[in-house]
Amino acid sequence: MTPDSSFFDALMDAAVDAIIIIDQQAIIQRFNRSAQTLFGYSEDEVTGKNIKMLMPEPVRSRHDEYISNYNRTGKAAIIGHGRLEKGKRRNGEVFPMWLSVGESRLHGQVHYVGIIHDLSHQHATEEKVRMLEEQLFHADRLLVLGELTAGIAHEINQPLTAIAAYADAGRHLAEQAAETRKGTGRAADADGPQASGSAADPEDSDSLRIYTRISEQSRRAAAVVERLRNLVRSGTSKKAMHDVRSIIKNTLLLFDFELKNMDVDVQVSIQENLPEIRVDEIQIQQILVNLVKNGLDAVSDAGRPQGRVDIAVHSDAEYLNIAVSDNGAGVPQDSLKHLFEPFYTSKPKGVGLGLSICKNIAAAHGASLQHSPVQPHGACFTLSIPLANIG
Amino acid sequence: MQHIGIIDDDEAIRESLRLLLYAAGYSCQVFASADEFLSKPVEQPIELLLLDIRMPGTDGLELFRMLRRDKVPYPVIFITGHGDIPLAVNAIKQGAFDFLTKPFRKGELLEKIQQALHFYRERKSQLQDVHELRRKLDDCTPRERDVMQLMVQGLPNKGIAEALNISPRTVEIHRAHVMEKMQAESLPALVRMVTLLGEAD
Repeated sequence: MTPDSSFFDALMDAAVDAIIIIDQQAIIQRFNRSAQTLFGYSEDEVTGKNIKMLMPEPVRSRHDEYISNYNRTGKAAIIGHGRLEKGKRRNGEVFPMWLSVGESRLHGQVHYVGIIHDLSHQHATEEKVRMLEEQLFHADRLLVLGELTAGIAHEINQPLTAIAAYADAGRHLAEQAAETRKGTGRAADADGPQASGSAADPEDSDSLRIYTRISEQSRRAAAVVERLRNLVRSGTSKKAMHDVRSIIKNTLLLFDFELKNMDVDVQVSIQENLPEIRVDEIQIQQILVNLVKNGLDAVSDAGRPQGRVDIAVHSDAEYLNIAVSDNGAGVPQDSLKHLFEPFYTSKPKGVGLGLSICKNIAAAHGASLQHSPVQPHGACFTLSIPLANIG
Repeated sequence: MQHIGIIDDDEAIRESLRLLLYAAGYSCQVFASADEFLSKPVEQPIELLLLDIRMPGTDGLELFRMLRRDKVPYPVIFITGHGDIPLAVNAIKQGAFDFLTKPFRKGELLEKIQQALHFYRERKSQLQDVHELRRKLDDCTPRERDVMQLMVQGLPNKGIAEALNISPRTVEIHRAHVMEKMQAESLPALVRMVTLLGEAD
């Protein structure tokens, strides 16, 4: 056709994206090297065949209709721009792709050129992020629920303890009063059968019964609170051996989007040859997400340029230490004491459960979570997980 | 009346406990914090302390460590919420008598108080016994103590004489002195005394 058709062939094969050229009847004319890799067919195998073979249902059955519609009406559904589509490989696998189609008219001949960008890798990442987010969200809800329940249980148990103790005291005192009255009653009985001693008994037994009922009912309420606590707490921890590197990688994956829009430098340094740790992966991620989020909030609140959040992992003889530090404003002196308390927060929209939950997760792993200030300004939170974590 | 100290930052809890213990025949003094307990004079010597584990300021565990350092002679029972059970268990390992989880089961509080007071009374009289025995032991000469050691192992005079390379007659004299100085009416009584001394060391 043209004198430099070899130049054209070379360009086709150099393209990273798949390029497929079809004619007006949707018959494949050219199929570049990337297309061959992507779909798993050689050019000879597909040349002369209908492009439909590369499509999954339901598009596959409708494609003839699309083509004839376009040829008849000139109204393009896809030509001239691109959209998300699905392709079908030789092995039957369906994958997401970005398809853009252009039209060429040369010597009265119409050809369509389709350029295909493979999205399977990107989709897999997005899918993973979505899954991680979902898991964390679920774990988060359970933990918040657990923390709330524990807080409420404590607040309710205090007055219940007092009520039960008051009732028990009342019962003791009523018993003693009854004893005394019985004593004087008996003395009165000696004077005559009509004495008042027997009349006091129903009164005493009434108050005794009332005190006993109050005591029983306060303990019933306590049992309800206890059941609720057990319900929320049960079966939330699944410990297994994990590599800290992958836990941190998955954690940062969740911040991908946020970090793109922030001027913050996140550095990760992990000591070589760390042993695996026995932990609930989701729960440890939960802690790290909280700490990294706090760090990012701190540097963006401080509004300084060159915000930094560092994650450093190293181990000593007993512990694997994960330190998350930032160069934000640091924790104010008067907040230090309450830092890990539930419902304590310095954030306008905060609930104040983040660090308190983190501390509880750490405790459930036999681990500790400690704060230390960073010089000249900033905060560092260190999670120390015991290496011999058998529990 | 036995005197019990109650430290809890929740007023309703300390007042209800005071009333309950009063009704059960104890006298009480209540404190709203560890610091109040440390600064306020006690009305009469404390014989048992009910101590809330979690309080603002100096918390229960910190106070307990101070009391232990001062070797206070009375039992401490911790009052805890559910979340603090690991802390309470730790406190017991450090020498607290027991702990009670809020809210208490029926009769639980009075039962544990009785147990604690009983245990400490026994221990106190045992400590006095040991003290007394040590004094008696100090009266014995080193030779008499050697003989005593072999006596409680059940060796006859002849055996003791051979072991110590002295005459059976001398053993007999030492033996009589040991029984007299230790005020032991029989060999089994002497064995009990030596066992008690051994346990106390």
